[in-house]
Amino acid sequence: MADGTTEAHRLESSAGEPAAVAGFASGVWVVVKREMGAYFDSPIAYIYATVFLVLSSTTFMNSFFLDSIVDMSAYFDMLPFLLIPFVPAMTMRTWAEEHAQHTFELLMTLPLRSLQVVLGKYAAALLFYLLILAGTAPIVIMLAWLGSPDMGLIFSSYLGALFLGAFFLSFGLFLSGLTHNQIVAFVLATLMGFAFVVSGHEKVVAVLDGLSPSWQLGTWLFESLSVMPHYESFTRGVLGLGSALYFLLMIGFFVWMNDVTLRRNRY
Amino acid sequence: MITVESVTKTYGSLKAVNDVSFEVAGGEIVGFVGPNGAGKSTMLKMLSTYLYPTLGRISVAGFDVVDEPLEVRRRIGYLSGDTPLYRDMRVDEFLRFIGRARGLRNTDLERHFDETVDLCGVGDVLAMRVDQCSTGFRQRVGLATALIHDPPILLLDEPTHGFDPLQVIAFRELLQKLRPGRAILFSTHITADVEAISDRVLIIHLGRLLADGRLDELAAETGMPGASLEATFAHLVSATSSPSADRTHG
Repeated sequence: MADGTTEAHRLESSAGEPAAVAGFASGVWVVVKREMGAYFDSPIAYIYATVFLVLSSTTFMNSFFLDSIVDMSAYFDMLPFLLIPFVPAMTMRTWAEEHAQHTFELLMTLPLRSLQVVLGKYAAALLFYLLILAGTAPIVIMLAWLGSPDMGLIFSSYLGALFLGAFFLSFGLFLSGLTHNQIVAFVLATLMGFAFVVSGHEKVVAVLDGLSPSWQLGTWLFESLSVMPHYESFTRGVLGLGSALYFLLMIGFFVWMNDVTLRRNRY
Repeated sequence: MITVESVTKTYGSLKAVNDVSFEVAGGEIVGFVGPNGAGKSTMLKMLSTYLYPTLGRISVAGFDVVDEPLEVRRRIGYLSGDTPLYRDMRVDEFLRFIGRARGLRNTDLERHFDETVDLCGVGDVLAMRVDQCSTGFRQRVGLATALIHDPPILLLDEPTHGFDPLQVIAFRELLQKLRPGRAILFSTHITADVEAISDRVLIIHLGRLLADGRLDELAAETGMPGASLEATFAHLVSATSSPSADRTHG
């Protein structure tokens, strides 16, 4: 292919020993770097970040001026509802794009475990989410300048926001891996996010309990499945082990399911 | 280096590959020929570990594709028929990404990178985004991804797709240079490619292997000594009865 200009090429003779398999973390990092590059090469990332920050900040500033309270509770109360459409919009392309560009086959025939690829994509999405969350730092600085906000509460609320986003990303990626269609992935992840959030709303719990008094469906969903009691424990300043465990188990489950569905495609 | 034993691959009720067996040794270039939907791509996908066989066994470089897929992937260079490339990346970034994913680091990566760029003739497009490259250059980049780790086994699905006649000639020369010590299996519709560079031909149709041998042997076996591969191929395929219209997997 080099039109005969190349002399004595190593590749032109016998093949050498195969390169060592990339270590687990190192293989994950290779995928993270590629994914981060893909996020920031596309204008979509900047649009996502801008829309998220403008929407969340303006909503917060509105209640901040109306209530005149130096805290961020209004911001963290609204965050779950903002993440319901925002995270699926971020994750819907993750696997669908690989299928569209036919690079899924390339990824799955590299000497990487499918779990390394899944974790790489997940970690990149989480990093991107963290960067956007870090974009709200001016609000904290502004509050600290105007008064004496409870910094411990703000820290635990950010931790809750991190867990909440990480959880949304885990099922967003899983659902994106189930279908080649970005719109289907978006709708499914939005519906799932909506279910996890509204099942923690007291009116929804009351309605569901009213529909099935003997089953107490609303209470059961609230206590066993809903993300809200766990998220709200962080936004109240309680760093509960149970809530952290809920998030870690749910994230682990969806990441594992993503890996399982990718491996199943080989059969 | 490649051993395929009684392999069948089914998609629902469709047998894309049906009881196929063959071997490819080191230093051998083998052409895989068949009409669309014959099962060539499915066979290469199984050799690459992308798909697992439904029945039978495949061993690549001594490793089973189902039991030890990572060991197989370390030793193969695979170019699939769709030329999978990250079109949003620059060519140099993309090749380095593939090198790193294959475990190459630092000076080792740079050495392999330089040699592969030189060998595949993609030096002029390194700074271009993949989607800005012509079809022929994209195919060369795809070939470079299959070669960057210096694999002992090459699996190439329609590697000359999109090449102009000069690039086809250069590709044939490249395969000849790569031949020593390597097992090379490539699929194609272009019988002239097979005649020009292959030691052996595999002819597949409707998922079944119709022939496996040197071109002159196959021509003699079909009662047409001295015939071209095209004529031999047409004779073998037409002799096979076929409900081919419902086959969708290539």
